[in-house]
Amino acid sequence: MKVARWLARKSGLDIRSSKYSYSDDPVLGFTSSRKHADHWVNSTCGYCSVGCGMQLGVKDGHVVSVRGNPDHPVNVGKLCPKGLAEHYAIEAEGRAKYPLLRKNGSLTRVSWNEAFDTMVEQFRAVQKKYGRESLGVISTGQLVTEEFYALGKLVQLGLGTRNYDGNTTLCMSTAVAGYKRSFGSDGPPGAYEDLEHADLILLIGANVAENHPILCTRLEENKGKTLIVVDPRVTKTAMMADIYLPVKPRSDLALINAMLRIVIDEELYDKNFVAAHTTGYEELCLSLAPYTLGFAAQITGLDPELIRKTALLYANAKAAFIGWTMGVNHSTKGTETVNAINNLALITGNIGRRGASPFSITGQCNAMGTREAGFASGIPGYRKFDNEMDRAEIARLWNVPVERIPGQRGLAYPDIIEGAVAGKIRALWVIGTNPLVSFPNIDVLKHALENLDFLVVQDGFHPTPTTELADLVLPAAIWGEKEGTYTNSERRVSKVNAAVRPPGESRADFDIFLAVAERLGCKDELFPGWNEPYDAFEEWRRVSAGRLCDYSGMTYEQLEECGGIQWPHPQGTDLTASASRRLYSDGIFETEDGRARLLPTQWAPFPEQPSSEFPLILNTGRTVEHWHTRTKTGAISILQRMSPRAWLEMNPKDARQLDLQAHDHVEVISPRGRVSRVELRVTEIVGPGQVFLPFHFAETNANQITQSAFDPISREPNYKQCSVRVERSSSSPT
Amino acid sequence: MELPLLDRVQEDGDVFHLTTATSKASSIATLDDAPASAVSFCGVSTQGRVPPAPGPGEQYRFHFDMTKCIGCKCCIVACNEQNGNPAEILWRRVGEIEGGVYPQTHRHYLSMGCNHCLEPTCLTGCPVDAFTKDDVTGIVRHSADACIGCQYCTWNCSYGVPQYNPERGVVGKCDMCYGRLERGQEPACAAACPEEAIRIEVVNVAEWRENYQASANSPGMPSADDSISTTRITLPAKMHADVSKVDLSQLCPEQAHWPLIVMTVLTQLSVGAFTSIWILQASGVQSHRTAALVALLVAMLALTASTLHLGRPIHAARALKMWRRSWLSREVLLFTLFALAASAYSASLWLGVRGAGWLGALTAILGICGVGVSAKLYLVPGRPAWNSPLTIAEFWSTAALLGACGANILTHAAADARYAVLWGFALALMTAGLKLVRLARSRVHELHSSWQLLMMVFSNHLLLRFLLPVVGLVLLPLGDLAWIRIAVALFMIAGEFVGRYLFFVTVVPTNMASGYLAQEAA
Repeated sequence: MKVARWLARKSGLDIRSSKYSYSDDPVLGFTSSRKHADHWVNSTCGYCSVGCGMQLGVKDGHVVSVRGNPDHPVNVGKLCPKGLAEHYAIEAEGRAKYPLLRKNGSLTRVSWNEAFDTMVEQFRAVQKKYGRESLGVISTGQLVTEEFYALGKLVQLGLGTRNYDGNTTLCMSTAVAGYKRSFGSDGPPGAYEDLEHADLILLIGANVAENHPILCTRLEENKGKTLIVVDPRVTKTAMMADIYLPVKPRSDLALINAMLRIVIDEELYDKNFVAAHTTGYEELCLSLAPYTLGFAAQITGLDPELIRKTALLYANAKAAFIGWTMGVNHSTKGTETVNAINNLALITGNIGRRGASPFSITGQCNAMGTREAGFASGIPGYRKFDNEMDRAEIARLWNVPVERIPGQRGLAYPDIIEGAVAGKIRALWVIGTNPLVSFPNIDVLKHALENLDFLVVQDGFHPTPTTELADLVLPAAIWGEKEGTYTNSERRVSKVNAAVRPPGESRADFDIFLAVAERLGCKDELFPGWNEPYDAFEEWRRVSAGRLCDYSGMTYEQLEECGGIQWPHPQGTDLTASASRRLYSDGIFETEDGRARLLPTQWAPFPEQPSSEFPLILNTGRTVEHWHTRTKTGAISILQRMSPRAWLEMNPKDARQLDLQAHDHVEVISPRGRVSRVELRVTEIVGPGQVFLPFHFAETNANQITQSAFDPISREPNYKQCSVRVERSSSSPT
Repeated sequence: MELPLLDRVQEDGDVFHLTTATSKASSIATLDDAPASAVSFCGVSTQGRVPPAPGPGEQYRFHFDMTKCIGCKCCIVACNEQNGNPAEILWRRVGEIEGGVYPQTHRHYLSMGCNHCLEPTCLTGCPVDAFTKDDVTGIVRHSADACIGCQYCTWNCSYGVPQYNPERGVVGKCDMCYGRLERGQEPACAAACPEEAIRIEVVNVAEWRENYQASANSPGMPSADDSISTTRITLPAKMHADVSKVDLSQLCPEQAHWPLIVMTVLTQLSVGAFTSIWILQASGVQSHRTAALVALLVAMLALTASTLHLGRPIHAARALKMWRRSWLSREVLLFTLFALAASAYSASLWLGVRGAGWLGALTAILGICGVGVSAKLYLVPGRPAWNSPLTIAEFWSTAALLGACGANILTHAAADARYAVLWGFALALMTAGLKLVRLARSRVHELHSSWQLLMMVFSNHLLLRFLLPVVGLVLLPLGDLAWIRIAVALFMIAGEFVGRYLFFVTVVPTNMASGYLAQEAA
């Protein structure tokens, strides 16, 4: 039979016509028959924070296709290439299916019982020996809000350690810190709709065309806008700009301060708004003294007239929108830069209005969820550790003694790693993240992990560079296999649903957290009567009631109906669920006095300046086909086909000087290490003196060379600039 | 604080402003008049986005707006999902073009499926008539059932549109989602594009034939003249003159096509041998029935090998179908006739039929014509390194050289035969040399790349290609010994095999721009 089939194939009798047949589908239309589903499950994309509504087509227990949800307010049916291929992640190679425990040096399959028992036993032993805070927990922005809410309680109250943070510190903590300092609370104030209504859009260090392509639809629809893009690299987004400002790396803060000074000097600011809704105007003015046009031109490399023109365009706009992402956040000056952006928006009154917002475009699908409901850098509901009333309120809501609510946050992600290097952190629980690829200056991290007594890694995939080092691997369900909610960049809460069962014995993170609580003996106290994410959501609604991120008016049913609701959505609100919401429309901010703070900021050069030994500035970033550390997208053949490996962008002038040719394999060397055999792209996309390396690829890991420099306020790494040199790799392949 | 290094950025000064091109007015149907359809693709309603069916003298075409494309590649994934294709096959591709000097850099993207040409070269070359240009829509469709997997269309299309699917043994291509359009649904790529850079339009064929040059061409694309592409491309209003493919420096060898290497060299050997046998017989030297049998076996082997090139060898006979139009059909026809004549001629030699010399002449003539036609089918604009009379010279010189080697063996190295070998050698070498000169001197990207492939990737093969026949030539004077004469022939054959291998792997096809990185890991 087999031989007959082989012969039929080889001879050309059988051309697999049925596999390649097409037919009509009521949902998809006329398509490949293999993509037709029995039923469709509504959900939300699990990659980035744009938060596109999706539908998963299920047939015989497999997700055979995905499509954008045509009724979802965010994407109206469109998806980016990662989203269009997202169903392949579910059955990708390398899914973690069974708990694995390191025995005699190798990871061995064990039962969940043994896994949980060992984990709790080891954590307790370490905590007994070295103190409760010797346990660290690092989570992610990829879980559902219900899981973040449960995990925060479990870690802070159940495990009793404050040393809990998320990988969100690697991307969004700067925006969080900046918002908190300026407005008294985290929370991007605007809505995506603003992109359609702003007459001026200023994108700073935000390559939305590459990283958030579905937002570009709205830019395209806004025909009357002027789009200004500030970026040292001629990105795809820069190509969309009406005015492109090729700033020198890390000079954005000087640019914004110069703009502020012009707006103030030329009295173009909104005097009424400043007087009524802000504090700190005088100090701000004083701090701007050095930022003359000449000074800013020297720092940024821009023509002074152009800086002035940009400032005037911004100040005179009816509604001006500033969007930023990692170009701002990945910096030791990130928080101050966010504050400068907020200053600019505040003094011109460009906040809380249609089209006007200082808007941080978030990274991961549910980074927002962990910011709202997590218990790492704040108490759930944007409550503050150092606010006695907040602590008392949460203790009352949770029915626990107020003493158990910490009065201070624990270590941030980089400090947990440094704690492990110093031997203060002895056990670590890593959830849904792959620091071996994503953490800066990777050798420090390796050293930290080697120092641990016990490392638990909970992930949907195994092996990953991080699970390979684990003492215990907990296999988790991923997107498409579990239920809950995500919050996107515009504070829109959307429902996430399970379409299929997780593979093997893997379990939803939510179930894992409850099981750990059970083992710790704190389930009934922390999670009374909880069985499913719905129970967590209902408690979270009560806990968030009255807060800025008020969920109390939302129900799962409503979320399913509307395809997402923006918070705040308090119970009994007059606004319909689908209405667009903006924060601070009333001019009242979350500070004690209700006024936003204008904060002085000072530009400084990035920490590692180029030298004769390391003369080039390395910039890192992303490509549209891949997601972060490529755990999922690297296993999806169509995405791999479109972007198979890393490359290094270098200006032709530098290439000539170094006698390097296009497609040469090169070493990128920093004071900390090297990236080997990366393919050179000689291109005018980057300026002379700069090189660019995408960070997704474990094989040529940019974090071998990035530095351990962190924003002093947000603790976010300075991924964007470090000094390197580039050499031809010794053995060129033939 | 001074940042000395960054000052270098300043050398090129200012910023640049981009203005969006206003799309040129054109005689296209407005999409708003389109019939409604409730069905959506990838969640996107395609209602009112499909123009009404083209009228007489009209056809559908793609419009690609480069000013809108952000290079997100959604169209690629949507196309593969629509058609159930594996990742190795992309019916829609996105290429990058780039130019200018930082920060006045221009980078743009080209998204392309099939251009549904007015004069589709895939169609005209097809030996089995698997392609049709639809009467109503003008869509160039391909029938997998009719296709035999010869892949000649993949050489003929200068855009590299038809792609071979080894799993099926047939090629496939973008059909503008014919089935969707028929149902009023938008094609997958257009529906998935977040920037609405891809749309379907109706074009007046006669008008387009007159003025296609203005909007069918783009940097990073082969000339629309080859086949009169119907895709309308809106280019940015301002674009640097040096904007070109980012993959210009990529060196990617083509497939070797071993069955074709074997087929071409062995048919040429057989034709050369039969010609020698006939000349020897006609000049009354002697009759070589054993040699004829060997040459016949070689011909049979060659023809058998050629079927292995097909994805569907069982339907090889279909290749004769389009002999009025396709050079591939003509090749198959002539070689079939050659094989029949050679069989008859061989039989006549074995049976000692007198007066069968005309059969030998017929065999030789059919064979020589066959080799010429065989070469002719490689003369396609999409493969510039092949598209030269030198290809015909190369094929004929192989036949001459190997035929002479055969004569050298049969005549026990008679002086005339030795001279013939010498002449054959000179001819083959001259052809090869002229081809190298042509490639080396060319400024055409594809020809220059072929030259670079020969010099950088295949330099050892190239050396061998010349060394092997030189060794044969050195042995030629020692031809008194039978095994030496055979060795001379074997060295020459080996040289021709290496040459033919290089012929296939170093051809650089014309194509649209691709991404910067080669698809295969280096």
